[in-house]
Amino acid sequence: MKPALEFLIKDEKVYSGALSCRGCGWSLLVRHLASLLGEDTVYVAPASCFSIISGPFPLRELKANLVHTVFAAAPATATGVRAALDRQGKKDTTVVILAGDGGTFDIGLQALSGAAARNENLLYIVNNNGAYMNTGIQTSTATPYGAVTTTNPGSGFKRAWPKDLMGIVAAHNMPYAATASLAFLEDLRTKVERAKNTRGFRLLMIDGPCPPGHKADPAQSIQIGRLAVETRLFPLFEVERQHYTINYRPEKNIPVEECLKLQGRFKQLFKPENRYMIEEVQAHTDQYWVRLEAMEGL
Amino acid sequence: MLEIRGHARGGQGMVTAFEILAKIFSKLGNFQVQAFPAFGVERTGAPIQAFLRVAKKEILNRSNIYHPHLIVVFDESLIEQVPVFDGLQENGAVLINTERPETDFSAPGRTAYTVQATRLSLELGLGSKSLPIVNAAMIGALARIFEVSLDIVLAAIKENVPAKPEANMEAAARALRAVSGANGRNQFLIGSLHAQPARATKTIESLAFDIPAEINGLETPSWSDPMSKNKTGNWRLITPSYEERPAPCNTSCPAGTDVRGFVRLVSEKKFGQAYELISRYNPFPSVCGRVCPNFCEQNCNRNELDRGLNIGAIERFLGDQAAEEQVKPAPKRHKEQIAIIGSGPAGLTAALRLCEKGYETTVFEALPQAGGMMRTGIPRFRLPDEVLDREIRRIEARGVKIKLSKKVAAEELAGRFDAVIAATGSHIGSPMRIEGEEFARDGINFLREFKLDHDADGLHRGQEVAIVGGGNTAIDVARTVLRLGARPTIYYRRTIREMPAIPQEVKEALLEGVKIEFLSAPVALAPAGPTKVALTLTEMQLGEPDESGRRRPVPVAGSERTILVDRVIKAIGQRSDLFALGEKPVDPKQGYIELESGASVFCAGDMAWGGTVAEAIGSGNKVAEEVHAFLRGKPYREAESLPEVVLPKDINYTYYLPMARHYNKLHHPRRLDGDFSEVSRGMDETEVVAETARCLHCGECFNCGNCYNFCPDAAIHVDEEGRLRIDYDYCKGCGICVQECPCSAMQFQLTEAVS
Amino acid sequence: MKKENNHNGLMLEEPYPESPRYPRHVEVVMKGNYAAAEAARLCRVGFIPAYPITPQTTIVERLSELVAEGKLEATYINMDSEHSVFAAAMGAAIGGERVFTATAGQGLFYAHEVLQAISHFRLPMVMCNVGRPSIPWNIWSDQSDSLSQRDTGWIQFYGESSQEVLDTIIQAYVLTEKTRIPAMVVLDAFYQSHTSENVWLPDQNLVDRFLPPIQPGEMSIDLKKPKSFGGLLPPEHYNRMNYSFWETMNQVEALAEEIATDFGAHFGRPYSNVEAVNIGPKTRLVLVTISSITSTARGVIRDYPEVGLLKLRLFRPFPREAVQRALAPLSKDAVIAIVERNFLGDNEGAIMQEMKRALYGSNYKMYGFFAGVGGKDVPPVTIEKIIHRAFHRPEEVNWVDVG
Repeated sequence: MKPALEFLIKDEKVYSGALSCRGCGWSLLVRHLASLLGEDTVYVAPASCFSIISGPFPLRELKANLVHTVFAAAPATATGVRAALDRQGKKDTTVVILAGDGGTFDIGLQALSGAAARNENLLYIVNNNGAYMNTGIQTSTATPYGAVTTTNPGSGFKRAWPKDLMGIVAAHNMPYAATASLAFLEDLRTKVERAKNTRGFRLLMIDGPCPPGHKADPAQSIQIGRLAVETRLFPLFEVERQHYTINYRPEKNIPVEECLKLQGRFKQLFKPENRYMIEEVQAHTDQYWVRLEAMEGL
Repeated sequence: MLEIRGHARGGQGMVTAFEILAKIFSKLGNFQVQAFPAFGVERTGAPIQAFLRVAKKEILNRSNIYHPHLIVVFDESLIEQVPVFDGLQENGAVLINTERPETDFSAPGRTAYTVQATRLSLELGLGSKSLPIVNAAMIGALARIFEVSLDIVLAAIKENVPAKPEANMEAAARALRAVSGANGRNQFLIGSLHAQPARATKTIESLAFDIPAEINGLETPSWSDPMSKNKTGNWRLITPSYEERPAPCNTSCPAGTDVRGFVRLVSEKKFGQAYELISRYNPFPSVCGRVCPNFCEQNCNRNELDRGLNIGAIERFLGDQAAEEQVKPAPKRHKEQIAIIGSGPAGLTAALRLCEKGYETTVFEALPQAGGMMRTGIPRFRLPDEVLDREIRRIEARGVKIKLSKKVAAEELAGRFDAVIAATGSHIGSPMRIEGEEFARDGINFLREFKLDHDADGLHRGQEVAIVGGGNTAIDVARTVLRLGARPTIYYRRTIREMPAIPQEVKEALLEGVKIEFLSAPVALAPAGPTKVALTLTEMQLGEPDESGRRRPVPVAGSERTILVDRVIKAIGQRSDLFALGEKPVDPKQGYIELESGASVFCAGDMAWGGTVAEAIGSGNKVAEEVHAFLRGKPYREAESLPEVVLPKDINYTYYLPMARHYNKLHHPRRLDGDFSEVSRGMDETEVVAETARCLHCGECFNCGNCYNFCPDAAIHVDEEGRLRIDYDYCKGCGICVQECPCSAMQFQLTEAVS
Repeated sequence: MKKENNHNGLMLEEPYPESPRYPRHVEVVMKGNYAAAEAARLCRVGFIPAYPITPQTTIVERLSELVAEGKLEATYINMDSEHSVFAAAMGAAIGGERVFTATAGQGLFYAHEVLQAISHFRLPMVMCNVGRPSIPWNIWSDQSDSLSQRDTGWIQFYGESSQEVLDTIIQAYVLTEKTRIPAMVVLDAFYQSHTSENVWLPDQNLVDRFLPPIQPGEMSIDLKKPKSFGGLLPPEHYNRMNYSFWETMNQVEALAEEIATDFGAHFGRPYSNVEAVNIGPKTRLVLVTISSITSTARGVIRDYPEVGLLKLRLFRPFPREAVQRALAPLSKDAVIAIVERNFLGDNEGAIMQEMKRALYGSNYKMYGFFAGVGGKDVPPVTIEKIIHRAFHRPEEVNWVDVG
């Protein structure tokens, strides 16, 4: 990878001072999003860390409009906003949902599915940091296998596989969906631009660093994100209608544990009696990649 | 009832600490307890509060604590940001996690205790430097203040702290012992603990509050103020900053050249400026670009990724392209005159530097040509005469006078000159100390005579020449011999890995047909017939490493063999020629030495230290500074130690792609006989500029954008001058910028940077 | 439920004779649900998020048709749930549109969370709820759904007839856009929703003059003046915001009365927050009703000169002053019998709780009568039973016709 060799954000569309933890993915993501989407944008946010990060009264982080809404129905509120703007002739204003994984994979899945199936002209951004971080690291259906959260009765860490959200989303036959990583900013920005310039329902899933939730060093937020892509734990791909395109093929076969070991939430997997689970994660990861490649070939 | 209020940063464990304290109190003497946090929206690092009430009877208050008996500050930096001491009761106490003494915090009516909880916790690996978890230590400190026994504290921690119980217990125990100011000053607190809340009978009429005429209702809340009113910079515990660090190419250049600097200028195609920058350190870029072993390249951090930069070729390009006619004499500013004995790289460099400082400098050269070892020890096919001539001419053009064929001693000059520098080099071959040594020629001598006098020592086509040694001299001799038509074989007692010669030269020699026999050492020489020499060799094997770190060669018993050759040339090292320092042997060292005669002389060059052109240049630079200080009556100090050099561990190689190194074009004629033309033809402008793109920019910002692009807090911006600035009002100290800086141009500091 | 499609021939087909009773109206026979839909059309609503639920379904069906036929220029979106319906309504209202939707029973319960958000966002909108209860499955008339939502900060009207539903929706838009408090207009399942009756539809011009286009408020998106809506509001500010909400809510009763009076002047059909029938010094019993049971009660009391009727049209905010005024002429011995078609888990039904609140300090004899819960029919004889029971061995709260 090469550094961008340029200052990617030409016009900062967020204010500093956001209430994000050190090394938070939300703020970095929103910085880039906002700079690309501009002020002619209305953001809609269900409950998530971002509800707090983006400003308690009377503050606002974003320089564009932001509507906070109920946890389960951000795409629905966005549908309403979209309809209002369309009626007022503001068809070029972008309406963007900023949701976490809980608000997407779990409580918000129905509203997401509804909006996707209606092909609403909305851009849905899911910052997937793999747990309910705002409430203090509870398990969501996006939580990775083997990760510690505060709600894992029994073993103390999750023993179920996360949902394949992209598969669910792709099944809606929507015009554009993609995964992106903050460690691969140029890819991320390209996808945001593509999504912005596509009509209909679009979804970007971002691998969101969360140092407190992942029990990781804030300074390593990007490094961990990069390893997630390099180890194929978080492949970068696009889905247009139902056609898959892999955007980045790691050259080296870096084992998943290189990424897992930087995150305290996976610490227990490195105990001798749990090491088999790392192999399971590796196998699952490899299998997903094989499937992706097969899908791409279709 | 005792009321305690705590101030900490989110993530430091204060809420847990207060809960554990509540449990401790409830066990001691059957207290009623109430511990709770003031929940806010704060994130890791942001200021938070917690409260603890302890009473003998039921606690009939579930509100925040506004008038505590004791205030506990988990993070000293909060004192600046939050009114932590507000509402403290008269005679109340404060406990602060700080390195400062308690007297800094006590006041009339306020008792202060302090404990170094951060230091303790970090020593025990609790939390990280960006967020030390100090709760156990603070529990220990509080236990000390309330005279709770250590056993109870440890049991409570063991029971309630899931992570690192041992380290936490240790932290508590150490803190308990380390509280400052805790002796016998707790009566007020203990008294409060046991006191019943004061009771009174009041009438409704006695109440007096202002009733507002109108409530300021918030018709429609508007979240429209910029978030930047929220200064998150006060969450920061560690501070990133832009701090240039020396690159290994720079620090490893004996001449002190700003390699990174000229490489960058070349990448911008500013060749003139690049040349100017080099010449500040090195007046011989054309020479060094050809003959230097390139310590810079050897230590280049790019070796970790693929191969070091071809810095020599860049340097050579700059030296060769520099216009000669632009050189103007340096103005004279001082009346003192300086003599330099020896016109090698050290002497000429010293002369030039002093000339540039405004002194009259005269160089005395024993030989009829200037250049020292550059002239006599390096064959033309590596360093053509005209290249050297050009660089010497530039030095002369600056005002340095060179007197040739003047072999003088320092003492002769002492009276006429205000300072004398001796830089006479190492032109005497070292002995092999074996039987029949007199039947071997000296390599350095051979090279000198051939260069100055075209004396080939009668060598001719077809003769077998044995060369003993593994350094550049051995290689140069061998290649010269080859060009004279003879057949050279080098005998070296170790392997190619230990060879001190420049690897590229070895490679070229092999390519040209020089044979090298490794692990072979001479044992004896004897004449064999009228013209031949019998050379007895032994096989060697490598033993334990010696003080140079290379494995010591040990003879293999019974492996001796004798060969007949036409000539044996030894090239196993050189020693200094000290003619300038008088009759009595002295130990020449860099800089000032005092001769027996009382004359003040400064030594430089190979005779003082080193053995390469670059080292001699560095030596010349240094001695010039010392002489200048001497003449100006100022104390001379070597440059202060620089910040830590950037090593491979400091480089984020993720951000660099492998790129093929550019190589010098080589001229290898089919027939070497009599062809002394230069082998290496360097690189052209395109190649040189392309090669600079491989620079990692170690320790120097190259505007890659990473820090800016990855800052989650929009706390980095580019100022009017296009330079990156960190806005410390907002930087939370996450460290991503430092981590993702490819070239280690950003550092972390625990101390607060000034915004 | 079987899809209904029986409005044929009774709908507006031009030319339609102007009603002799109300100038610039046409008289039609239509179901309550269609009256609600026609009201939305006349109010020129811009955004309709829809999700079907019996017995509300024909409202959204008819609206869909109106949009499809070009009779209503609105954005109509089929959402994935009532929760999403109201979340979408919220979005469009923040976007500055006039929003209408409708639901019933389970749908309203499901939307509870969003109802709170909409009202606390101070977003104007009108929705129709067709009252029905919860599981075990029941689709018949009952007000436990809307009455259980009386504390969500929405204004609530209960309509007696299709005409009243239509007229109230028009009034509710004026009220909601003035106060920026959302309004719910409730009608009964089947007895109103599916009951075809005479309805006088006003001309569009008439409505337009009464209801001006919606104006953006403080809580409307302005792309030129971006801000956040609804971020974290710390306790002291939440406190003050609710104080303002409370202040405005306290003005709603008077404002609603004023709008109802204006409506009368404008359309020829006056309304009030409460309606007192035969309440005087000689009245020995007053029935208190909401919604369609009111009509039945009206019929019964014609035969009982000693019996009066108090109809509650505005329920939230509870019209305390109007109730007090209406009952003021009563003698001390008079009995108040409250008809409750809602069971909310407590001894008293919702209306009795509110009546007690309104009449705090007055010594009326007040009895509650659960009647028609779960859609059980309330025929006149049931009303008579209530009257009878109120005079003979009444408990404080009674169930009528159980079993």
